[in-house]
Amino acid sequence: MCSDLAFALRGVRTTVGDNFALRDVSFELPTGYVMGLIGANGAGKTTTIRCLLGMRPIQTGEIELLGHRVPGPVALRQDVGVVLDHTYLVGEWRLVEVERALRPFYDRWDGSRYRQLLDTFGLDPRAKVKDLSRGMAMKLMITVALSHQARLLVFDEPTSGLDPVARDELVGIIGDFLLDEGHSVLFSTHITPDLDRIGDYVTLIHDGRIVRTGTKDEVLDAYRIVRGGPDDLSGLVGVQLIGARRTPTGAQALVRTEEADLLAERVLVEAPTLDDIAVHIGARVPHPDPGNGASRGPEPRRGAGRRQSDSSMPTREIA
Amino acid sequence: MTAIARTVVLDLRTAVAYRSQALLLFVVVALIEFKNPILLVPALALLAIPAIAAFPLQAADKAGLETLYAVLPVPRRSVLYGHYAWALATYLALAAAGAMFTLAFARAQADAFDGRTLLVVLTLSWAVFVVNVAIQFPLFIRFGHSRIGGLGTVLPVALIMAVIIKLHLTTRLHVTVASVQAWLPLVWVAGAVAIVASVAVAIAADTRRVR
Repeated sequence: MCSDLAFALRGVRTTVGDNFALRDVSFELPTGYVMGLIGANGAGKTTTIRCLLGMRPIQTGEIELLGHRVPGPVALRQDVGVVLDHTYLVGEWRLVEVERALRPFYDRWDGSRYRQLLDTFGLDPRAKVKDLSRGMAMKLMITVALSHQARLLVFDEPTSGLDPVARDELVGIIGDFLLDEGHSVLFSTHITPDLDRIGDYVTLIHDGRIVRTGTKDEVLDAYRIVRGGPDDLSGLVGVQLIGARRTPTGAQALVRTEEADLLAERVLVEAPTLDDIAVHIGARVPHPDPGNGASRGPEPRRGAGRRQSDSSMPTREIA
Repeated sequence: MTAIARTVVLDLRTAVAYRSQALLLFVVVALIEFKNPILLVPALALLAIPAIAAFPLQAADKAGLETLYAVLPVPRRSVLYGHYAWALATYLALAAAGAMFTLAFARAQADAFDGRTLLVVLTLSWAVFVVNVAIQFPLFIRFGHSRIGGLGTVLPVALIMAVIIKLHLTTRLHVTVASVQAWLPLVWVAGAVAIVASVAVAIAADTRRVR
């Protein structure tokens, strides 16, 4: 298998316990770009990443990673740097010992790069892993990932819990990493402003399904925010409101761009931010399919809300 | 360096983080058996060596090292082999250290302690170590040390104690160096077979691990 894709998931399905599954997950990232994987907590981001890395078996579908089918050769892991939302190193290790422990496993480990990054991040080589703050621990994991000269960096919620300064530094690090056009980044997050700066591609995931995937501009162009009075978004024909919110003084929802044209005369239509899209899609209420426990499809069906009732139009009321 | 050797080194670095506890275990057992040096190495094999050998498995749960193993470019099976190789290395190192202390303690107390007696002692400690590790490791690998650490530790010790008590009650516990000499090679071979069987069980258990 050989392609110019950093990775691709095609029709991936896996179950996690009794209540959650990835269903028909398909998306891909060309080499040399940054993809943001956006979804609420529990949407399936971490499960997707674990499948991509071969850490979780899949039931159907196929996964391609750096030109190899997953599970691929173990040597493939030389090329993948993984930064999860927690450390996975012995707490008693000092940072110099982290290098000694990991260096034997990587053919291209760059000790001087490791020490340089520790210095850049202000990490004391004598400090113990267990004594690092969350932000410092994330920096350590990023240092490790960058020290073995990976071609693909996979970040799972790296910025959650980081202060704005640390998040800004991380974005800068990713920018530097991408100076080599053979490098790619998958970045799962629910903090979308980070992706506004560095994301080339965006994949939206909700309840184990891919809602939309494409370039950031394509995803932003695919939706509109509509705002109006309390009753302006009721009784709409041919429009699916996504994550509608109502207050006594107004209502707003996300709609597909082509459907927004139907509303232009009665409500305010605006271009959304990634945050708007993530918030409204994350607010959708999953509906179990009869028979197999699966939830509704990834895209709202045109005309599904011909006379939208509260039961057919998932909404979240705000005070 | 092979993948297994790299894993053994990683286990060593993991266990070194717990060196204070390891040293404390060794010293406590040595002090207990100071007056009875012939039992020092078997006591280490019963109480200290399996615990120290299991430090990497304990740390794997505590520090999330299973994730590290999954991310490192090393085959999963090599990780398991490496854990067992680390356990054997621990036994060899601590049994050797224990043997030296045994000889030193015996000399300090003017006890006669020849090489044949030491071989019997080491063989007995090998049997105790094998029973411990062969039972504990598959349990720890299948369920995780944090879930079953207590039971996994107590079970083999209880089994060994039950055998000793049973033999004692049936008055067959009059072991002499001469009486067991012929059995020593068999014990070493049986121990090795038990370890291999335990590795096979651990590999099977690992595929059904509760993660």
